Amino acid sequence: MTLTDWLILILRVCLPAMLLPACVIPLTWIERRGAAFIQDRPGPNRVGPFGLLQPLADVLKMFFKEAVTPDSADRFLYLLAPGIAIFAALSTFAVVPYGATLEMGGRTIPLVGADVSIGILYVFAITSLSVYAIVLAGWSSNSKFSLIGGIRSSAQIISYELAMTTAAAGVILAASSFRLSDIITAQQGTYHLLPFLPRWNVFPQLIGFIVFLVAAFAETNRLPFDLPEAEAELVAGYHTEYSAMRFGAFQMAEYVNIIVVSAMMTTLYFGGWSLPGLSPRGLGGVLLSVVVFAAKTFAFICVFVWVRWTLPRFRYDQLMRLGWKTLLPLALLNLLWIAALEMWKAAR
Amino acid sequence: MGRLIFDAAALVAIVFAGLMVVGRNPVKSVLALVVSFFALAACYVMLLSPFVAAIQVIVYAGAILVLFLFVLMLLNVGPERPEKTGRPIQTGLGAVTILVFAGLLFGMLRGSAARVPAIPPTDPAALGDPAGLARLLFADYLLHFEAVSVLLLAALVGAFVLAKREDAP
Repeated sequence: MTLTDWLILILRVCLPAMLLPACVIPLTWIERRGAAFIQDRPGPNRVGPFGLLQPLADVLKMFFKEAVTPDSADRFLYLLAPGIAIFAALSTFAVVPYGATLEMGGRTIPLVGADVSIGILYVFAITSLSVYAIVLAGWSSNSKFSLIGGIRSSAQIISYELAMTTAAAGVILAASSFRLSDIITAQQGTYHLLPFLPRWNVFPQLIGFIVFLVAAFAETNRLPFDLPEAEAELVAGYHTEYSAMRFGAFQMAEYVNIIVVSAMMTTLYFGGWSLPGLSPRGLGGVLLSVVVFAAKTFAFICVFVWVRWTLPRFRYDQLMRLGWKTLLPLALLNLLWIAALEMWKAAR
Repeated sequence: MGRLIFDAAALVAIVFAGLMVVGRNPVKSVLALVVSFFALAACYVMLLSPFVAAIQVIVYAGAILVLFLFVLMLLNVGPERPEKTGRPIQTGLGAVTILVFAGLLFGMLRGSAARVPAIPPTDPAALGDPAGLARLLFADYLLHFEAVSVLLLAALVGAFVLAKREDAP
């Protein structure tokens, strides 16, 4: 490999990993302004034009605050937990294709960190590890509020992961591949009978998509499923005892998770970077495909903000009932329907 | 290079499995097991079986051990206290067992290189291929697979009966 090849590889892998934390900063502004808009108040509007510099001020504040470690905390695990949260959040994006394959100067450059054959399983494997950050933070802080937050969270994530994976199994079945780029390829073009309708997974698998969407809210600990950090009863849940940038790390992981899960929904159900009529040829076409991917992901991020400030929090037993008695059977139903559809297609 | 990564991952797996056994604090023992399982998954990746590696992380590190942690936290199990008497008989028997087992293992490993047939040189991509694995599981070994699933179902029903016993009329 020449130096140029190495440079391209490093850029291709590192760019999304660098951009994700950078996206968090405007995302907090969108969240706070969105909340203010929904609640009919101005929101942060003092630092910079439209308060755009407010997130930067917040980050500076977090860096310069004193980081307090509780005396009775388990020091090693207490410091490890925010690290796990950041690691799990950032490494998930490595397998998500964020643009079409670029062919330039005799080189073929797929715009994805690593297009591994088990892409979607890798994402689920890393997401399933992120629960350790919350559980360990809750346990090692040696505080009742933190512990209850951590326990709630582990029960919630295990319950909803099941529904989420089963819903995604329908997508795997439809593409008959675990590779995310294959899943996107399977969704290109439009239907023969309805030429205006793209072949996105969301249309045949609407139930599966709804289950995935609801489970995604639960997995990212967002309202209406933010019981691990229900501030009315648990102070701040698992990160009650964290301050300064350690708290910031949890906050950042939460927003990165929102971006990643939005990107996953785009990839699994909305055709990823593809758009009917858009041919990803040449530099312009490929750049356009990246823009399409970013736009779809941004739309889902807006849905996250919108839902957070619209719905009240569930009670814990309601949350468990919804997960096990509604979402899981619906996900299984979706899987059955997709299996039948695929068999019918194969028989024809 | 690949060999080096495999050996390092295997070493990490063994060391953390040992830490899991000798640890006094149950929560830290579970965490040592998580690291061990993760290293085992890395071994699977180096053996060209990424699918098995992903399942290893999702099922064992991601689900089963989280449940372990969950139970430990619910019961609020504290660190294990060292025994006062020292238990000399048990320690002696344990040492003898370890020696015998180590001798057996050494004897088995020494002669194994000649006996284990070399893996036929197939396409390395097909080795860890989910489709190939599915064919083995759902065609060649279907009976075994179904037998295991019935066994698991029996265990599930058993746990359910035990948990529900008090409510029985």
